[in-house]
Amino acid sequence: MKVLLVDDEQELVVTLAERLGFRGVDAKWATTGHEAVVLARQESFDVAVLDVKMPRVSGIQLKKDLERIRPDMKFVFVTGHGSEEDFRIGSAEAARYLVKPLDIDVLVETLKQVVAP
Amino acid sequence: MTRSADDGLPSLSVDCLRFFGAMSASVSHEIRNKLAVINEKAGLVEDIAIAMKSGRVPDPERLETQARKIVEQVREANRIVRSLNRLAHSTDEAVATVDLSALVDLVIELYGRKAAMAQATISRRGPAGEIPVRTHPFLVAHAIGSCLGTAVSRVDASHELTVAAERTDAGARVRIGRLVGAAAAGVDPKHHAADLGALLEVLGAELADDAETGELVLDIRHSKSHDPGGLP
Repeated sequence: MKVLLVDDEQELVVTLAERLGFRGVDAKWATTGHEAVVLARQESFDVAVLDVKMPRVSGIQLKKDLERIRPDMKFVFVTGHGSEEDFRIGSAEAARYLVKPLDIDVLVETLKQVVAP
Repeated sequence: MTRSADDGLPSLSVDCLRFFGAMSASVSHEIRNKLAVINEKAGLVEDIAIAMKSGRVPDPERLETQARKIVEQVREANRIVRSLNRLAHSTDEAVATVDLSALVDLVIELYGRKAAMAQATISRRGPAGEIPVRTHPFLVAHAIGSCLGTAVSRVDASHELTVAAERTDAGARVRIGRLVGAAAAGVDPKHHAADLGALLEVLGAELADDAETGELVLDIRHSKSHDPGGLP
């Protein structure tokens, strides 16, 4: 499984990518929407894990940009807010919606479910 | 004092609650992000420990790096909490002699995330040093924050806002402007002063623009009140 992690907090995505690597998941990371788009153009990913609120491009907008490049890509939204509004938007826009701090086992299980045929 | 339309509370009280709510929401979001990083770093240390048990040779530097980064995140989270705590304690006394310079630094720190989300940065300009002013500490923080919030929301991408504080004969002054370009911070002081009407009135403060520098200028006069009671 190939996963693209996008969050403006670099320490978070770097560490998550490493932890997913321990669990057999091939994860790459980006800290901006632009970096994510460049990566998606270079290679395909099964699923993208996007922070809902980021500077410049929001997770919602980034999902649309990535879908244009990779129509088959699946999405999981992550937020640090956990507000009702975020839950509503996240649930409507992506296959799954998770709240930080993440449980790595829940994340891995969610990724498996999202990419399952 | 006017009252809000729907709940009977004085409109200034509602504004104050909104300001404190917005700051609390922003800070709690930032803390949650730090906790998320700490959570992953601690998890990675555990992953490395499990790998060691299964016979894989660890790189000691890798563990040391993760431990150091956890400490850094805790330190950052503590700094953020301390700022919110200082804002909370600014309500302790309705009128007090405060260091406006320190208050400006506090509000800049609290607005850091909001500015980052708007692709703007806020920095201090001018000489450091204490600027004592007798005033309503929380209300001044609210007024500075409100001016900054409006400036941040209207500033163009990749611009840096600057904030300066200075003494005046009557009290103290805060200047908000752009580092790049000669244009004003993007705030119409007339409209903004109308929004902050009750707040400026209680503070005995004035909001204006400096046509020469294009800065938004908040003038705060020393309060003559000696009442240390609660907020108005």
